[in-house]
Amino acid sequence: MNQQQEIIKDLSQFIKNNQTSEDDFNKLALRIFTYQYQNNLPYQAFCRQKGKTPRLVKNWMGIPFVPINAFKEVPLTCTDPEKAQAVFMTSGTTKGIRGKHYHSTLEIRELSMIVNFKERFMKDTEKIRMGVLFPTESELPNSSLAHYLALGVKEFGTEDSCYLLNEKGLDMEKVLSELEHAEETGEPYALLGASYSFVHLFEELEKLGKTFHLPKGSMVLDTGGYKNQSKELELNEFYQLLSTFLGVGLSDCINMYGVTELSTQFYDDGNEVVPSVKSGPNWIKTRVINPLTGEEVAKGEPGVLVHCDLANFNSVTTILTEDLGVEVDGGFLLLGRVQGAEARGCSIAVEEFINFAKGSLK
Amino acid sequence: MREVAGYIPEIGEEEFEQKILKFQDLEVEIPLLTKKQMNKVIETVKKGSAETLKSLTVSEIVNIIDKVTDRLLDRSSSYRQKAEKLLPIVTGYDEEMIRLALTSYLKSFRKHELQRFLVEDLANPLMLDDFQPRVKGGFSTAVGPDLITHVWSGNVPALPLWSFISGLLVKAGNIGKVSSAEPLFAGWFARLIVEVEPRLANCFAVVWWKGGDEERENSLFEQSNLVIGYGGNQSLQSLQSRIPITTRFLPFGHKVSFGIVSNAALDSQKAWRTAHQAALDVVRYDQQGCYSPHLFYVQNGGKVSPREFARYMATELDNFRKKYPRRTLSMEESASLASWRQKEEMSLFSNLNKEVLGNSANDWTVVYEEENADFTPSPLNRAIRVIAFEKIEDILPSIKPYRSFLQTVGMATSPKELFQWAKNLGGIGVTRITALGSMTAPEAGWHHDGRFNLLDLISMVDIESSAEEDSERFAPYVD
Repeated sequence: MNQQQEIIKDLSQFIKNNQTSEDDFNKLALRIFTYQYQNNLPYQAFCRQKGKTPRLVKNWMGIPFVPINAFKEVPLTCTDPEKAQAVFMTSGTTKGIRGKHYHSTLEIRELSMIVNFKERFMKDTEKIRMGVLFPTESELPNSSLAHYLALGVKEFGTEDSCYLLNEKGLDMEKVLSELEHAEETGEPYALLGASYSFVHLFEELEKLGKTFHLPKGSMVLDTGGYKNQSKELELNEFYQLLSTFLGVGLSDCINMYGVTELSTQFYDDGNEVVPSVKSGPNWIKTRVINPLTGEEVAKGEPGVLVHCDLANFNSVTTILTEDLGVEVDGGFLLLGRVQGAEARGCSIAVEEFINFAKGSLK
Repeated sequence: MREVAGYIPEIGEEEFEQKILKFQDLEVEIPLLTKKQMNKVIETVKKGSAETLKSLTVSEIVNIIDKVTDRLLDRSSSYRQKAEKLLPIVTGYDEEMIRLALTSYLKSFRKHELQRFLVEDLANPLMLDDFQPRVKGGFSTAVGPDLITHVWSGNVPALPLWSFISGLLVKAGNIGKVSSAEPLFAGWFARLIVEVEPRLANCFAVVWWKGGDEERENSLFEQSNLVIGYGGNQSLQSLQSRIPITTRFLPFGHKVSFGIVSNAALDSQKAWRTAHQAALDVVRYDQQGCYSPHLFYVQNGGKVSPREFARYMATELDNFRKKYPRRTLSMEESASLASWRQKEEMSLFSNLNKEVLGNSANDWTVVYEEENADFTPSPLNRAIRVIAFEKIEDILPSIKPYRSFLQTVGMATSPKELFQWAKNLGGIGVTRITALGSMTAPEAGWHHDGRFNLLDLISMVDIESSAEEDSERFAPYVD
């Protein structure tokens, strides 16, 4: 058994176990760090520049974090990128360069998703009829979200589960028949998809003047924000509309927070109060840091989120996101994305420059 | 602590809605006028400047501004003390840095500098007072607008003075909108003018409203002859869309500046000073000015290599960290700075000749790159790129696409190179060449973004020689 196989074995155990101590996490995190330091050469060069080697790093908090946009710069993988089982890409379009996350195997990513999805979304339900407001895996082969949703349907959806988009966007006929079917039969229904697709759905339902009251046990899972795909809604308004149009209780509207560069997702426990507290399983840990010093801010102070996801065993476990957040009891609150800092004086801001370059240098 | 900002002329009303802008424990109170009050201000300023300002000679106006500048240069005067105390709080810049920069900046508004300012644009400044004979025959006079609206932006202290003073010199009524990032200086300046010359009390106003407030903007723009706008292209675009065709618009967009160091400035004796001056330009206002450098091109072939020069700059920036600490950064700025540096560090893997220098608290960063690196902007706040080059011709193509954004180039070169390179750079859009260490302090009478400070504001009125000759026929004493 080679080093990677051993890590996969122990990691699977860790995830299935789901009842591990801080010490166990630490040990495995450091072991994976050593492995990544040895096998992920761009990461090694980065750690060296920071003066951090496995010998000097004593706990998971000391593991050098890479900025999320580094996935656009270099292949961050411990194995041959050519031989990856899957490559997920970000939709980020700055200069048209997309971040790439290589997975030597999807075994751990899928295990992480399944165990966590069951615990945080399905809970006591084994299977549920699902409708997906997102393209399929074959339509978007490099989308981590498409893969996530497909896996959700495969593992937890009943046979009647289906996708509710067509080439033009929302397949309203299908949406309506699914929702009506649920209302008529009383069979719980789960609607899953990108947040912006729900906004489109609200618009369509409003045009038709239709609202639904889905049966007890029905659930909604949205993710990803709006990404300029639809009008921006306040969180509060968004969940109120979800509840109004679909008749699902706010506590059954779950938001998933995930990024292409991680292999594990975060969830909240409903959205009666927004912003909701997000948390992940025990194989991922989050720190809120001051990005200048890399040190943790005091609890309750805003900072930038750094995640250490052991399921990212093939790339880099520890990632500096562009998400602002604050640590609270039981997890963290997302405060939004770090927008490009705007110009204070009269010198050009990087954003403005890049927008110009995109416009003129195509 | 509370400070009242802005300046409202006598409009027969004292009650204004007050808007509070908060800067740590300082509250800045600024009047937010209703549309009706704003219309009264417009009317008052137009009338006041027509009756008073336009009746003064330009040299009388110069003397008034000179007296105001004197007061602001005098460190014992109350306004100067207020500026030294409050501007660091409002803008976040280091106190000592602001003090030094204020003095050097204000010096360009003394009498002799203002005179230079005038002749720079108008060979004969008396044109602003009366018809003056033209060489070709006939007479001309320069007439300023009835009303100029200035939309200022950014947090570089006292920056509004350039356009405000230009507006006064052409005897226009002036209404300035301060930026919420530095709402104070323009108002103090206005009040000082009135202290020095109470007759000017109704010739200008300094106000504030939230950018994009269409109701206020539309009505003001409609009644202005000229709008001078500062800001990013997006906000200028939105301003422009709301300015009627009969009102002229002078936009000053955000700019990008850089430095060039020739190998002539890189012998072991001179290189340290060159790096010191370059670092000063980076430290001043943490690169937030349009004239502040984003990167330095450093020529190969000197005793000190570009790579060594980058290290010299790192040392200098580290020294300045103690003397002039950087402004406290917002979370957004911190995050983008940190992520920029880490991205640069990550690219070391694929670019072995590159170097990233910085301290652990991220107080400053120097990135060194070999030839052919892209012309890319800095995230500012003391992050600078040093790029090695062989010949000036090698770097021009990568800069050229950004023509509309280029402004200042700080140069350390031999006299011969200075003129040759300046010609090359001028050809691709650069409008100002200056010494390293002077990038953030343009000379009196400079051409801001290559334009004229006063000429762009005025219209000429010509009396052609035919009219003059013809009028002789109708003189009462004609024979």
